[in-house]
Amino acid sequence: MKVLVAVKRVVDYNVKVRAKADGSDVDLNNVKMAINPFCEIAVEEAVRLKEAGVATEVVAVSIGDKSCQEQIRTALALGADRGIQVETEGSVEPLVVAKLLKGVVEKEQPQLVILGKQSIDGDNNQTGQMLGALTGMAQGTFASEVAVDGDKVNVTREIDGGLQTVGLNLPAIVTTDLRLNEPRYASLPNIMKAKKKPLDVFTPADLGVEVTSHLTTLKVEPPAERQAGIKVESVADLVDKLKNEAKVI
Amino acid sequence: MPTLSDAVLNELTDIVGPARLLREADDLATYGRDWTRFAEPRPSAIVLPGSIDEVQAIVRLAAREGVALVPSGGRTGLSGGALAAGGELVLALDRMNQIEDFNPVDRTVRCGPGVITEQLQTYAEEQGLFYPVDFASAGSSQIGGNIATNAGGIKVIRYGMTRDWVAGLKVVTGTGELLDLNRGLAKNNAGYDLRQLIIGAEGTLGIIVEATMQLARPPCDPAVMVLGVPDMPTVMSVLQTFQEKMDLTAFEFFSEAALSKVIEHQGLTRPFETATEYYALIEFEQRTPEDLEQAMALFEHCMEQGWVLDGCISQSLAQARDLWRLREDISETISRWTPYKNDISTVTSKVPAFLADVEAVVTEAYPDFEIIWFGHIGDGNVHLNVLKPDGLPMEEFQRRCGEVSQWVFEIVQRYEGSVSAEHGVGLLKKDYLHFSRSDAEVALMKQIKQLFDPAGIMNPGKIFDL
Repeated sequence: MKVLVAVKRVVDYNVKVRAKADGSDVDLNNVKMAINPFCEIAVEEAVRLKEAGVATEVVAVSIGDKSCQEQIRTALALGADRGIQVETEGSVEPLVVAKLLKGVVEKEQPQLVILGKQSIDGDNNQTGQMLGALTGMAQGTFASEVAVDGDKVNVTREIDGGLQTVGLNLPAIVTTDLRLNEPRYASLPNIMKAKKKPLDVFTPADLGVEVTSHLTTLKVEPPAERQAGIKVESVADLVDKLKNEAKVI
Repeated sequence: MPTLSDAVLNELTDIVGPARLLREADDLATYGRDWTRFAEPRPSAIVLPGSIDEVQAIVRLAAREGVALVPSGGRTGLSGGALAAGGELVLALDRMNQIEDFNPVDRTVRCGPGVITEQLQTYAEEQGLFYPVDFASAGSSQIGGNIATNAGGIKVIRYGMTRDWVAGLKVVTGTGELLDLNRGLAKNNAGYDLRQLIIGAEGTLGIIVEATMQLARPPCDPAVMVLGVPDMPTVMSVLQTFQEKMDLTAFEFFSEAALSKVIEHQGLTRPFETATEYYALIEFEQRTPEDLEQAMALFEHCMEQGWVLDGCISQSLAQARDLWRLREDISETISRWTPYKNDISTVTSKVPAFLADVEAVVTEAYPDFEIIWFGHIGDGNVHLNVLKPDGLPMEEFQRRCGEVSQWVFEIVQRYEGSVSAEHGVGLLKKDYLHFSRSDAEVALMKQIKQLFDPAGIMNPGKIFDL
């Protein structure tokens, strides 16, 4: 079984992002970039399926400029067999990403596509679902457990109030939630080996997709600064403030 | 055991107010000791001054009445330097925790002694700068205590000790006099640099009441590697290989025994499957992609030589932090076995032979004890921890460790090393000071103390007895 796993290059989640002075975007100048944490979980899940003998090949795909090859190499070091970069410039919105991934799915014919449920830059949470709609493949989103059983995959989903397990016919799409697994560290010997693994580059045109944009970013600004708290003199004072200023009681 | 007279207690209350003079058993136990557990804390009271004036008033009172003072910071020391076991008055500096007067041109900032290390690190970060002295207890330890013990930690190989970051110091001596030392100057060759005497004096010369700290440019995209190494001499070969080609920001090592305990008790992930006798943790800056390539090439070389059996590298800041925890959480993890700690050093070039000798002695002397090795090693400093077996009584354990310490320190002496590389002497290493310091040196230290503290009230009995 072939597994396709999508990885995105995003700002490292430990970085405190700043808005550009002109408010046009987040300032990415000299900022540490890393693989999107949900994508990292997706790679780990694919590699575990391979180690368990369920998957035979893991293909990692990323969409972006040349720098995203770094994240593909990370996926290769973690255990993916080969990489695909779809070369685009600037930011691409979820619908375009889904269309490009559909193109890759048609080329590769994977039985399972694993994606992060969202990327921590745009927080859109759309690509997996859109890919499902475009390809007509079954989808199991927000997975906390993935069990392949013959030509089916059972996906346990984290939903409000508990867990739900859905059975999907393969080929299928799975998007990962945080508790699916704990990704391993990239081993140095595997990083060396990853350098020799194949990485193909396609353009959107190769996949028959036209990159269009339906979204315009109007403004990026930091959240309002929190006001400092105050100390009240007495309980009566507190009750009064809760009632009349905060209006919560 | 001395107690404080009502007159003294009243006078202290007048200085700091009734809420700042603590005498409850809980407070005495909390403020009366550091992280060591070899003796019970028995202070007579705790006083919490809020200003330099109040500190001066307390010290003058103590000098007049002959009340012994123990200064207290974050209480994370490992040598009993802040232990008040003999009815002393503990002077805790927790309240003097202001950070002010940041100067972007000089890159300095003024700190009260009670500023927590992490608070200064965060403050520096907010200014786009970096306070580089770091260690596992940075979330509790205070700047005043760091200076009093000249704290080292995990970045010494690149940034030096606390001493290198103190640009100015205000100190109240044993007579209550306030000294304003160096005042932030980068160059000041006008006479003796008394600031340097106060740093590392463990509160025996005076109370640090303010410090002007130097800040640095932040490191650029640090990457962390953990390498599996078959034996201790090889750790040094790996260090040498990397240091010849790169400026490392850290080079730490720890043993498999340390790693397996940390993983079991902190719920962390193993860096890689291969278990090796020792591990090296290397941190370096990735200023350009070539830095990473260089590190990979060095790793490959070490692998070809058989010095490194496996390894991994952080791919994100979160992974870098988690890999650091494998090293930084060791002290906390093994504290449940009340370890006997040795904190020894020699010059880096002598470390391989030095370690081989120490390891031989220790393995022979403690066949039934579990030994945990870890340390900074890149700066010549190793921590040798002997864990107490469950059934063994504390006194018996300490007696046996004391015997072996004697042998270990004889080796330290032979290698012209230090019996306390970064933990200070306090009460715990007092008996061993002569292995690192000559009689003439100790005699001069005592005379210096008497000049700063004629009444003998400043942390008496620490480092040496007069």
